[in-house]
Amino acid sequence: MTLFGLCKTMAELTAEKFIVPVLEFQRNLFPPFSYPAGDLADWFASEGGIVTLAWIYAVNIAFAVGMTNLILVIHLERKIAARIQDRRGPMLSLRAFRELGEDLAGEAPTWRFKGNYSGIGIIQNMADGIKAITKELIIPNKADKFLFSMGPIIFISSSVFLLVLFPLSDRFAASAAPAGLMVIMAAFSIAPIGVLTSGWASNNKYSMIGGMRSAAQLMSYEIPLLLSMAGVFLLAGSYNPVDIVEQQREATWLFGLPMWNFIPQFIGFIVFMICILAEVERVPFDLPEAEAELVEGWTTEYSGIRYMLFLAAEYIRGFAGAAVATILFLGGWAGPWPVPPEIWFLLKVYLIIIFWIFIRWTVPRIRTDQILELGWKKLLPLSLINILIVIFMVEIYPYFDDIVNLPEVF
Amino acid sequence: MAEMWISMGPQHPMTHGLWTLKVKVDGETIVDADPELGYLHRSVEKMGERRKYFMNTTLTDRLCYASSTTWTHSYVLAVEELMEVEVPTRAQYIRTIMLELQRLASHLMWAGAYMPDLGHITGALYFWRDRELFLNLLELPSGSRLLYNYMRIGGVKRDLPDGFEQKTERILKLFEQRLDEYADLFENSKIFRMRTEDVGKFTGTQAMNMGITGPNLRGCGVKHDLRVEDTYEIYEEIDWDICTREAGPGYSDCFSRYMVRIDEMKESVRIIRDCFKKMPQGPTMSSRVPVRASGEAFRRTEDSRGEALMYLVGDGSDRPYRWKIKSPMFTTISACPHYLKGYKLADIPAIMGSIDICIGETDK
Repeated sequence: MTLFGLCKTMAELTAEKFIVPVLEFQRNLFPPFSYPAGDLADWFASEGGIVTLAWIYAVNIAFAVGMTNLILVIHLERKIAARIQDRRGPMLSLRAFRELGEDLAGEAPTWRFKGNYSGIGIIQNMADGIKAITKELIIPNKADKFLFSMGPIIFISSSVFLLVLFPLSDRFAASAAPAGLMVIMAAFSIAPIGVLTSGWASNNKYSMIGGMRSAAQLMSYEIPLLLSMAGVFLLAGSYNPVDIVEQQREATWLFGLPMWNFIPQFIGFIVFMICILAEVERVPFDLPEAEAELVEGWTTEYSGIRYMLFLAAEYIRGFAGAAVATILFLGGWAGPWPVPPEIWFLLKVYLIIIFWIFIRWTVPRIRTDQILELGWKKLLPLSLINILIVIFMVEIYPYFDDIVNLPEVF
Repeated sequence: MAEMWISMGPQHPMTHGLWTLKVKVDGETIVDADPELGYLHRSVEKMGERRKYFMNTTLTDRLCYASSTTWTHSYVLAVEELMEVEVPTRAQYIRTIMLELQRLASHLMWAGAYMPDLGHITGALYFWRDRELFLNLLELPSGSRLLYNYMRIGGVKRDLPDGFEQKTERILKLFEQRLDEYADLFENSKIFRMRTEDVGKFTGTQAMNMGITGPNLRGCGVKHDLRVEDTYEIYEEIDWDICTREAGPGYSDCFSRYMVRIDEMKESVRIIRDCFKKMPQGPTMSSRVPVRASGEAFRRTEDSRGEALMYLVGDGSDRPYRWKIKSPMFTTISACPHYLKGYKLADIPAIMGSIDICIGETDK
C-alpha cells in the first residue's frame, strides 16, 4: 500500500463518516443558507473532493515526517559537534529536572554535573523553541518593513516546500512528479532571493554584504550542481526520483554487486557533494552568514522566532539536500530486503548528514573569491568531464554487457 | 556596490577586545582602513604614580589578561634595576618557568581565538582545553588562574610547591602529543592554508619600520628575540633557539605567523624542561628590598606579543615619579592599514587575528 493509497482510504473514511454528515447536518439545519455547506458536502462525496483531501493528508504526513527529522538533525548536530569538541552537548531531560529538584530540596544543593543526570537532551530543542517564541520581534528603525518581513517568508516557505517534494520510497511519496528533481532544484534556488531581500531590507551593511555574497555564491555553485546532476538524468532518462532510483536498483556491477550512481559517476558525485554543501550553506561554504567578519551576515537584524525559523529552515535545506544526494547517487531507498526501504533511505540520508556535521566542525570557512574560483575553474570542468563519461558509457555499454548491466536508456 | 566605510567594532567578533576598525571597502576589497583605539584606557601609568612600587604589580597584572605574568615581570625587572636589587638564582629560574608557562597559555589563548576568526569553532575549544592545563599549572604556585601577582620585587611570591615538576612534565608530555595531533587539523589542512597563506603580507623591513615586534617580526624570518638580544633572567644559560619562519623571502603571511607561534610553544616546552634540569636550591626572595628609589630605569622584555618596554623614574620617594609603558600591540595595530589594503573583507579577521591583539596592554 502506498502513502497515497493509505491517505485516500483515510480521506474516504473521514469524508464519509465525519465531513459529509456534518455538512449535511448544516444544510438541513438552515435550508435557506445551505449554499456553501451543501455544495461542499456534494464535493466531498465526489471523487475530486476525496482526492484533494487525500493529497492534503499526504502532504501533511510528509511534512510531519520532515519536521520530526528536523528536530533529530538539529539534535544530532549538537551532540556530534559536542563530541567532536570534547564536550557532552545538551543533556537536559525530564528525569534530570527531577533529580536536580531532589538535589535542591536537600540540605546542601550541589550544582556539580552528576553522572546520573541521564538524558539525551532532546527537550533542549523544545526549550530553545519556546525561548525564541517569547522573544521580541525587532524591526530596525530605517529598515524596509515590508521586505524585512517578506525575506523570512520567502526563505522559510521555500525550504519547507522542499520537505514534500522528495519521496522516501516509491510507496511513501507525497509527490512523485515526472519533473520531480527539477522542481526540487528550482525550490532550492528560491531561498537566495529571500536572503538577498532580507539582507537588503535590514538597512545594515553587514547584512547587505551577506545578501550579496549569497547571490555571488548562487552563481558559482548552481551551474556545476545542475551539470553534475545531468549525468544521472542521462543514465535514468528521467527527472522522476522514482525512475532514477529504479535505474540504480536494477544496475549491477561485477559479481552482481549493485552499481549505484556514485560508482560510475564518481567525479559527478564529488562535484555534487561539494555543490550541495554550498547550496545548503554549511561550513565551509557558509559565507553569507560568516560570523567572524559579518556578524551572522544577513540574519544580523532578525530576532526571536524569525531567527529561529531561519535556523530551522537551514536544517530543513540540509535534510532535503542530503535526500537529493541519496536519491541521485546513493541508490535512494534501494537496499537488502528485511529492512524497509524508507528506513534504508533515512539511513543513507543520515549518513550524509553526519558526514556534513563532521565537515562542519573540522574545517574553516573559505573566502568568496575562493568559492567563485572553485566553482568556475574546477567544478564546472569536472562536471563537464562527468557528462562526457556518462555519454560515453551510455553509448558503449552494449559492448560490455556481460560485466555492466545497465537498463536500456535510449 | 559603491565604496563605503564599514565600522567594525567596538563590539565585533573580529576585534578581540574593545577597539574600532573602520574599513573602506569597494565591494569586498579593502581600499582603506582606520583603526581607532582608546576604548579601554584605564590610565595605568598615572594610577601607578599614586601607588608604592610593590603595589603596582597588581596593576601590571591587569595590563593583559592573556599574558599577565610577563607584564608584571617586565615591571619588576625595571624596578629592580632602579633599586639595584639582586635576585637569587632560584628565583630567576622560577621566573623563567612561569614566564614560559604564561607564554604557552597566551599563545594557546591566541590560537583558540584565531580559529573562530577563520570559522573553525572546534579549534577554539581544543586550544582552550589545553590552555586550562597551563592555567592549572600557573595556579599551583601563585594561587590564582588569571591574574597571578606572583612576580615580586626581588624575587617571587613563594617557592614552587611539591610535585610541581612532575605535574608540569606530565602536562608538557600530553601537550606535545596534542600539538602533533592538531597539525593534521590545522597546518596540514588545505582549507586552513587557503585562508591563511598569502594573506596579510608584510616584509621584515616594513615590520621593523612600522615597529612590529615579537612573533609577528619573527614570522618574517627576522631573527630578533629580546630573550637573546637583551637577555634577562637565565635565558642565556638555557639551551634553546629563536624560532623564525618566513612565508617567502623576507616576508610573512598569516600562516607563517601562525607557525612561528606553534614553534615558540614547542620551544617554551624545551625551555621549561631545561630550567627544571638546571634549577638550583636556594632562597626565592632577595634579602634586601628597599622601598624608596631614585634615578631612572629602562628595561625591555620579550612579551608573548612583542617587545614590552618599561621606563621608570624615581624621585627618592616610595612611589614612581613617572612610569611609561610601551606596548608592542599599539604599534602593530596602528600599522594595520599597511597590511590590510588590497585584501578581501573576509581576510580582516584572518589578518587581525594573526597578529595576536590584546587591547588591555594597547590602551593601558
